Amino acid sequence: MPQIEIGYRPAHSLARVMLQPNEQILAESGAMVGMSTNVHMETQSRGGVMGGLKRMFGGESFFRNTFTAQGGPGEVLLAQALCGDMMTLEMTPQGYFIQNSAYVASTPDVQVETQSGGFKGFFSGAGVFILKATSQQPGQVVVGAFGGLQELQCDGHLVIDTGHLVAWDATLEYSVDKSGAGWIASWLSGEGLVCRFTGQGRIWIQSRNPGEYGQAVGSMLPPRKG
Amino acid sequence: MRYEMLDKPDFAMVKVTFDSPGEQMVVEAAAMVARSSAMQMETNMRGGMLAAAKRKLLGGESVFQNTFTASQPGETLYFAPAPEGDVEVLELDGTTPIMMSSGAYLGGAPTIQLDTKWGGAKGFFSGTGMFLLKAEGTGPLFFSCYGGLHAVDVGPEGYICDTSHVVAFTDGLDYDVQKVGGIKSLFLSGEGLVCRFQGQGRLWMSTRNPSSLAAFVQPYRPVQRSN
Repeated sequence: MPQIEIGYRPAHSLARVMLQPNEQILAESGAMVGMSTNVHMETQSRGGVMGGLKRMFGGESFFRNTFTAQGGPGEVLLAQALCGDMMTLEMTPQGYFIQNSAYVASTPDVQVETQSGGFKGFFSGAGVFILKATSQQPGQVVVGAFGGLQELQCDGHLVIDTGHLVAWDATLEYSVDKSGAGWIASWLSGEGLVCRFTGQGRIWIQSRNPGEYGQAVGSMLPPRKG
Repeated sequence: MRYEMLDKPDFAMVKVTFDSPGEQMVVEAAAMVARSSAMQMETNMRGGMLAAAKRKLLGGESVFQNTFTASQPGETLYFAPAPEGDVEVLELDGTTPIMMSSGAYLGGAPTIQLDTKWGGAKGFFSGTGMFLLKAEGTGPLFFSCYGGLHAVDVGPEGYICDTSHVVAFTDGLDYDVQKVGGIKSLFLSGEGLVCRFQGQGRLWMSTRNPSSLAAFVQPYRPVQRSN
């Protein structure tokens, strides 16, 4: 398995992936900062056209890039688009749920699939969607946060703002809900939608909400043509 | 003259302490944060109007630079780049000029000359712009980027860097702008174009790029209604 080091934490984190000959890493499109000259990059839609389409509707880039070290060891530098921390999750038998924009990279044995179902409707407007990462073998997933990364332990029940979710253990049950007693109260509270977790597991959150940030900055910019 | 780097790496700022009167530091317009009040500040177009205009139009730097001159020992000057991120300082010894991408230059000793270099037609599509800024001479040179600064020693095997992440490199490195992967990758990989460096030298790249931030914020701009 490639060795992954994360430097420049927390604000401008950079993942350095060291590949042995013929080892591979898959990364979100646009994540590559630099690489050795013997690393070969290939764009492919894994899971065939349907798998790719499914991911495209998930808001995840349709194509991920596969990097392979050829004829010797090599390295790939990967970063997410926005400022914030990154971390490596070691694959567990149950796997992880990952908020799609938090996905940065994964080792080739890790299956990454778009989750369909009730969650989709709630999130699609915000361009946020959920991925499920599973693997029969040991593997790694690199996730990135907007802002800092915190690990929370869910012991029974926990409520998290959907804009602050990064990833969580797939052992947890989750449902999306309004934050307050009624829709109007929820809307006025500014908290919008929350994710209610039940069970035992870890949840990683980001200390800033990209949507809130976009609105804060975007509203100060001159209007764009509709 | 001594300098110290403060608040690295996320919000780097340079503090210069002058040892004797007459010592100078040249800083990009608007980069000054604070200075001793007796210090003289002179705004000029270094290298004359033509060179300044060329830098502005082609190198992405400001037309004006400010030269700060110490009037007595112990005076201090603080300066910082506009975006959040890191600053690197190099002591140039006159042997190896530094090539910087558009906007990376922050300041330096008055003994450092800046020139705008045509990056070649191959630079046309690159995020670094068509022109590079070449710094040569002796003394400290400061450059900055949005995000962290990651340095790589390029050897005979070369190194590949996304064009929008190139900050600076030592003169003498050869580079070529090319696409990675096949034709499918050019449009679908999201990776755009890369610089392939060859030779012996050092390359500095930024761990973030401002165009990705701009692209993220763009959809949040209010929409102009036609009526």
